[in-house]
Amino acid sequence: MTHKRKLQLILGEMFNKPFFAAFLFIFPAMVAVAQDDSGPNYGDILQGFSDPSRWLTYSGDYSGKRHSPLTQINTENVASLRPVWTFQTGTTTRGRGFETTPLVDDGVLYVTGSNNYAWAIDARTGRRFWQYRRNLPEDLTYGASAPVNRGFGMLGNSLFMVTLDAHLLAFDRRNGDILWDVELADYRVGYAATGAPLVLDGMVITGVSGGEYATRGFIDAYDPTTGERLWRFNTIPGPGEPGSETWPNDPEILARGGGGTWMNGSYDPELNLIYWGVGNPNPDYYGDSRPGDNLYSNSLVALDADTGELQWHYQFTPHDLNDWDSNHMPVLADIEWQGQQRKVVMVGNRNGFFYVLDRVSGEFLLGKPFTGTTWAREIGADGRPIVLNDGSKGCVPDPWGSTNFMPPSFYPELGLFYLTARETCATFVPEEPSLVPGQASFGGVIFIDPEQGSGALRALDVQTGELRWEFTYPSPTFGGVLTTAAGLVFAGDHEGNFMAFDAVSGENLWHYQTGSRIWGAGAMTHLLDGRQYVLIPSGTTLTAFALPER
Amino acid sequence: MSQEAQHHRGLSGQASPILVYSALCLLLAVQRYTPRAVLAQQTNPLASDPRAAAAGGVIFRAQCATCHGADAKGISSIDAPDLTLMWTQPGMSENRVFSRIQGGVQGSIMPSHDFPDTEIWMLVSYLRSVAVSGATEEFRGNTENGAGLFADFCADCHRVGREGGSLGPNLGRITLRRTQAALRSSVRDPNSTIDRGYKPISLTTVGGDTVLGVIKSEDAFSIQILDSDQRLRAFSKSELISSDRAIASLMPAFAERQLNETQLDDILNYLHQQQ
Repeated sequence: MTHKRKLQLILGEMFNKPFFAAFLFIFPAMVAVAQDDSGPNYGDILQGFSDPSRWLTYSGDYSGKRHSPLTQINTENVASLRPVWTFQTGTTTRGRGFETTPLVDDGVLYVTGSNNYAWAIDARTGRRFWQYRRNLPEDLTYGASAPVNRGFGMLGNSLFMVTLDAHLLAFDRRNGDILWDVELADYRVGYAATGAPLVLDGMVITGVSGGEYATRGFIDAYDPTTGERLWRFNTIPGPGEPGSETWPNDPEILARGGGGTWMNGSYDPELNLIYWGVGNPNPDYYGDSRPGDNLYSNSLVALDADTGELQWHYQFTPHDLNDWDSNHMPVLADIEWQGQQRKVVMVGNRNGFFYVLDRVSGEFLLGKPFTGTTWAREIGADGRPIVLNDGSKGCVPDPWGSTNFMPPSFYPELGLFYLTARETCATFVPEEPSLVPGQASFGGVIFIDPEQGSGALRALDVQTGELRWEFTYPSPTFGGVLTTAAGLVFAGDHEGNFMAFDAVSGENLWHYQTGSRIWGAGAMTHLLDGRQYVLIPSGTTLTAFALPER
Repeated sequence: MSQEAQHHRGLSGQASPILVYSALCLLLAVQRYTPRAVLAQQTNPLASDPRAAAAGGVIFRAQCATCHGADAKGISSIDAPDLTLMWTQPGMSENRVFSRIQGGVQGSIMPSHDFPDTEIWMLVSYLRSVAVSGATEEFRGNTENGAGLFADFCADCHRVGREGGSLGPNLGRITLRRTQAALRSSVRDPNSTIDRGYKPISLTTVGGDTVLGVIKSEDAFSIQILDSDQRLRAFSKSELISSDRAIASLMPAFAERQLNETQLDDILNYLHQQQ
């Protein structure tokens, strides 16, 4: 992007404000204010759930467990859980919609919505302090087909949000004003951004969408104060770089190899490693033009947080032909594994397998199917799947996969991993695509059997991958999961139910019909005035639940 | 984007099957490019060209099939409608379909598309070619007989205009959406295809009642039906002893001795006259 265009964009943003001249005038002052000490710092985010009145990063802490220590709502009283308030976004997006996880600090919720709306909301009443709406271009590419956002990152008085036109914004959390705005990539080629930025010590990490277009994915780090880019990791190697041997020797193919990074990552502060999932190679269903494993598509990558350098990778679906992006929340835990303590990372994958990897080395420890997928039924000793049906023979998981980006949860004391499973039946028919910048190139078509399809909340034993219990839904579901230390699992489904389960037995203890499918979002919980709240986005509403006041 | 650039993209954009590509090049060569503002015209300039539908099919599979399905029949779980049925909607026109592709659909995730106009018209041609429509068929029965037979055999459950029941689908305009062969097959064997919203179920309540009906909706905890008395009812799944979905359609099968081919012709012609 030229400086002129950048300036146009920034000015365009300002002209939307009523007093843009004044804004120009005080702009430098606001940058200075953003550096003050009020608001949560890196140490606060690092402490995760130790202050339960806060939820400062997408999963509540860096580990991605989405497991809160709060116990006020428990298996005995959850049946009396009731809505306290509902926030209506006033936006029109339906179906795919409200995928965000709200952040909360000092009684204020910070919430992003579809079409790059955002709000600060009073956590007690659901009343709004401010609203932001980005003036998006009319010729959005990927961003038009999935106009969603998964949340803010937060540091001090700054909030960070990515946009459908592939920018990263910093906000002043007190009034929603923009502190800086940087372009991640040119949206007109096919890029967009939808994840919640991951804030570390002195940097904001974000990925990018666009693997359905002729794009090349990356993970970026930015300076939270200035927006200056600190490093970039390209998910598809350049010519001659390690990994390029898994592609045809053609710089053009590498330059549009896909590998989006649109879901959030997790972080291990001791190892100083970032764990991030990488999406499908491009074209999605047509692989003849890209023989090889196509690294680092459909992989989990572990990056050095200071430099962005790759430490290790594990590829779940080599040479993917089914659009099974590995953009899932990597869940970090320290567990006893075959008699010894190990640092592991766990992933429930779109290809239908649940994985446990050593997160220091990337060593493959376990891979077991959690759905009836016929793509493969086992992972070989070398960590590679033994593929039985690439999709052309029918009835493999559809392109939305056996699970997807909806966050799972890990309950350390029970050793159980909870995730939403989708049972679907799709046949893939590849077709050589034309590759035009700004146009999607799936490379074929899919036939989905409308008579088959269901969903389930499943509890997996992480030692064996075996199913401990399940609760079935009438249709394939995109709702995420939260667990709390009171022995509860909260989950949402495609029919709009928000539900609580006994984490041990799987018994359904409570449900509430929100009126719209719960898509992509996992619940969050926090303590306010001594009262525990649980929040879930659904359709175009955000609802807060609590026990009745005594 | 300049006209020239659009032209160029149209040419280079569709490289898949050689035949279609050639057809596209030819079409673009013969079609004089018209600026967008003027092209809000009423008719498809490619309507008479049989190659346009094939070229449109290639574009459709690359750009539209992920949501609307490879056969344009839609994917209900993501609210993507069946496009083969849209032509039976009142007021639907090629011009309107053109506008929807170009401008998107407000309030839905159907985005706008910055395709060259010629490519959009190719898509319109393709969608025309896959439209489910029996309207061009010849109907030979006796309408008056058909009206009487419909009242006797069908109207308890099916509506046409202001008359009839609601347990089965409304049959107004049905001859536009289904061929005569398909309708005949449904009369002889109602289980051959059952539309969403009309799948049969038999429920047994804890009180021992058995309720027959068609499923309108359900979630993990409840089910909403229209029962065989045509009353909307909802049940909590916890108050049901059993639910059986493997039962036959609530519509009886009409064998030849109950309703012969001539009588069936009469009913179909009656239905066709009722649009």
